[in-house]
Order: sequence, then structure tokens, then C-alpha cells
Amino acid sequence: MIEKVRPLTAVLPHIQNGHTLGLGGMTLYRRPAAFVRALIQQKHPPQNLTLLTFTAGFASDLLIGAGLVSTVRTCYFGLESFGLAPMFTQKASTDEITIIEESEASIANGLRASMAGIGFLPSRAWQGTDLFSVRPDVQTVIDPYSGERLTAFPAISCDVAVIHVLQADRLGNCRLGGNPTVDEALAMVADTTLITAEEIVERLDAPVDIPGQVVTAVTHLPNGAWPTSCYPRYPLDGEEILRYVEMCGNGRFDEYVKRET
Amino acid sequence: MKKEPAYTIDELICTCISHQIEDGEVVAQGIATPLVAAGYLLAKLTHAPNLTFISAIGQSLCTNWAPLGVATIERLWIEQGIVTYDFVTAACDLLPHFGPKEFFRPGQVDPFGNFNNVFMGGTYQHPRLRLPGSGGIADVTPYEERVCLYVPRHGRHTFVESLDFRSGLGHIPTRQRGSGPRYLVSDLGQFDFGGENGRMRLTTLHPGVTLSRLQAKTGFPLLLPDPLPYTEPPTAQELHLLRDTIDPLGVRQLETLRGAARREKLRQILAAEAGKTG
Repeated sequence: MIEKVRPLTAVLPHIQNGHTLGLGGMTLYRRPAAFVRALIQQKHPPQNLTLLTFTAGFASDLLIGAGLVSTVRTCYFGLESFGLAPMFTQKASTDEITIIEESEASIANGLRASMAGIGFLPSRAWQGTDLFSVRPDVQTVIDPYSGERLTAFPAISCDVAVIHVLQADRLGNCRLGGNPTVDEALAMVADTTLITAEEIVERLDAPVDIPGQVVTAVTHLPNGAWPTSCYPRYPLDGEEILRYVEMCGNGRFDEYVKRET
Repeated sequence: MKKEPAYTIDELICTCISHQIEDGEVVAQGIATPLVAAGYLLAKLTHAPNLTFISAIGQSLCTNWAPLGVATIERLWIEQGIVTYDFVTAACDLLPHFGPKEFFRPGQVDPFGNFNNVFMGGTYQHPRLRLPGSGGIADVTPYEERVCLYVPRHGRHTFVESLDFRSGLGHIPTRQRGSGPRYLVSDLGQFDFGGENGRMRLTTLHPGVTLSRLQAKTGFPLLLPDPLPYTEPPTAQELHLLRDTIDPLGVRQLETLRGAARREKLRQILAAEAGKTG
């Protein structure tokens, strides 16, 4: 039996300067927010990270505000009904951040290509749009059977994925809780997969969502998604998201990151 | 004294969306689009009982429904799903398979229904305003047949002669599959794309809106019907369903309010949800 449980201080050093960091969950749901705060509050937090996340929201905006991220790969960056993501929106118009424009299909097909160990997967997405003008690396291929022009989405992977889950066991098996997002795929393609869990039990019964075989370490972090949700354990804390938006609007991001510790 | 209108603009937009839905269809809903969710549910509870929803939250197929929420939105879609997929499967297989009808909210839209949710003003490297991004819009608009648009606040910054960026594919001659948008509803009127080469046309003006106000708020000349019909206002039954059954908290209003007024409405909704669940 391979014991995967580790304290937070032991797993934070996995994230190194220049890494591509994949964040699990989506926008305001099951984000590894406590892990992200701990990452930011280290004495020497990693720099020049590439943030890879399906849809970016609260936790991603913290990383951007704290200056850890130089490149962003996501299909949506915002806070849903709470408005634009303040720090991303501020820095996206400057040279501080490079955006690698993505869509649902480019990330989803890219993850699938990685899982399959191939260089690309074809899709009908993007044909006719301007996405190619800002992603010159993305090529078009011809379907050899029908002759249709298709988009060849390149494989996507990451150095480290951090995923918050409802339950994990000591072997790293995980249960996501009902809103899977892309986390099963993210856990498979990452070189290192770090799990933070609301609850760690001795052994989860089958079936699980993420098998321990693709998990590097599991860390116990109750309320680790707050103020985003961890369905069905707790809903998102909208008051806290509003407080964040309002403080950022008044130029008080640094104070916010300090205050909530 | 002007008589108080019996309905609000969010209710009119929801009703217009509802009227675009046919029974038996599969419809999709994106992130933070409660006007669309309310419109779909209104259709489900009136003329389209056999509607199936695909939601971005929870990636499930749903035939049941629950009232709208903000903090508790996952509950609506996850607990009502007959089947749940992960988002990789939803994006790669589910959406291409069903090609659902979907309403998108453009940051900018041109006369031919091409639209933009990536940036406005300046250049891509140095935009005046970076928008959240294209989500799945750049994926499905190249092949979907039943794309619709909605604009909660009609203005010249949204209705533009030429886009800063095309992330949503409209009516263009080089399109391989699918169709540009079929329909658009704003807070001023309803539109189709039946003009030459798929150009936008006004089909009905909302009650109380003048043509000169509409044209002043649109950044390109509009094709106009003659005579000019007005949009049917919501019925008493539709208003009752929206206010008392589908969305008692008024989540739909988050898309028509802005700034401090929107945050105030959010606080009211969150307090009401906490009271209910706590």
C-alpha cells in the first residue's frame, strides 16, 4: 500500500518557477482556494507560472493579483454573476500577462490528446473564427475521409495539477462530489497531481472519480474550496466573493490577501 | 402621469426567449445567464413540457427543473440531471452530438450576427477592455444550426459595424456548416437575420421604445419592417410563473442591473438563499 497523505508544507515545493500549474474545479466551484492562498503566502512563492484551467475564477484571480502568473490558458476568466475577475481584467491590458486564447473545445480536445498520447485531435470548433489569428500554433487539417476542414487542437498537459475534492482515501482515490468539471482528465495528464480533500478516509468504496494511481499526494484541507463551493458539502460564499470584488475595486487586493489568512 | 408598466424589462426578455423555444428541443445554457435559464423554464412550464436542458454547471442533461439561485445553482443542475458528464465529454461529444439551441450574450455583435466575447477596443495585446473569453462560443457557432443572441442593455458599444475580434461565427459566405444566429432579443426589440446575406432586421419593437431611440443606440443602420409591429407583452400567467414559481428571488435581474445596484441585488438574493438553507 502506497500511503499518499502529506502535510501542506510538504507538497507546496512541488510547484517551481516556470511551471505550468493546472487548477481543478471551475469558476466558483470546488476551486483549490486554500492551497492557492498557502502558495501565495510562502516566503518565496514560485514565479512565472503558466496557469492552465478550464474556466478561471476566484482562485485564479488571486494567483494573478499576487503576481505568480505570467501566462494564462483558459476559455473563460470571470466571476459569473459577480462580474469580471478584477485582477485579471486589470492586468490583461498590460504586458504583465500573456494570454494563450483557449475555448472549451481546445482544452477538452487537448486534454484528450494528452491522455491518448497523441499530438492533436481534430474538431469542427474554431473554423471561420479569428481564434487562429491569436493562436498561430493551431493548425487546420483535412479529414482524409470526407475532405472537411477541421481544427487540429494540440495536446495539453501540465507540470502540476492541484485539485480539491470532497473525499479522498490514503491511497489517493478521490470522489469529486457531483460537479466533475475536467478534473478526471487533468489528474491523468499532469506530471504531478496534488489533491486537497475535505475529508480523508481509510479506504473509499468503488467507484471513485480519480484513481490513486494518478495521484502524487493527498493533503487534508477542510473548507479548502472556500469561498468557492464544495458541492454538496457547502455552497459558494457569495458575500465573500462580493467583499473580494469590492476590495479589489478600491485597490486593496494586497490587504484582502493578508486579511483572509 | 405615466402609468406604471405591468412588467419589467427582464420579464419581457425572458418571455421573448421562451417564445423561441419549441417543444421537444434540446437547449443549452452557458455560465451566468439567468435570463436564458428563466426563459427556458418558462417555455417548459407553458408550451414546451418536453424540453431537455444541457447546463454548463454540472454538465448534465436535465428534464426536471428547480427555481433559480446563485449560491445554490449547482443544486439546480446536478440534482435534476438524468445523466452527468465530465466537461471533456460535454465539450467533445455532447454538444456536437445534440447541436442544441443556445442563447449567447455578445460583448459586440455586427450586422451579420458575428460576435465577440474576447476584447473590446485597443488591440488584442493591449485591449481597452479584456472580456472573460469565448467559452464554448468559438466551438459551437461554426456548426450549430440554432444559435440565438440576447443583449440585456442595447447600446452602440455592443451593436457595432465591425468587430474588434470574431469569436462567434455569424452569417459569412465561407461558413462550412451550421448557420449564423437566427434571432436576437435586446431590451429594445426583437430581430432576425433575414436580410440580404444574413443582415440583421428589426422584427418587433418593444412597447414604449421609439424607432429613433433604437437607431441612436445601434452602431449600424437597421433594416426595418413596414408596418412596424410591437412585441407582445408577457401574459398574466407568464408573469406569475416567472415571479412566483421559476425565479422568486429575481436572479434574472442580475443581467439587467449593473455596478452597485447589481451587487445590492446579489446581497438580497444571497441573504434569502442563506435564510432558506440555513
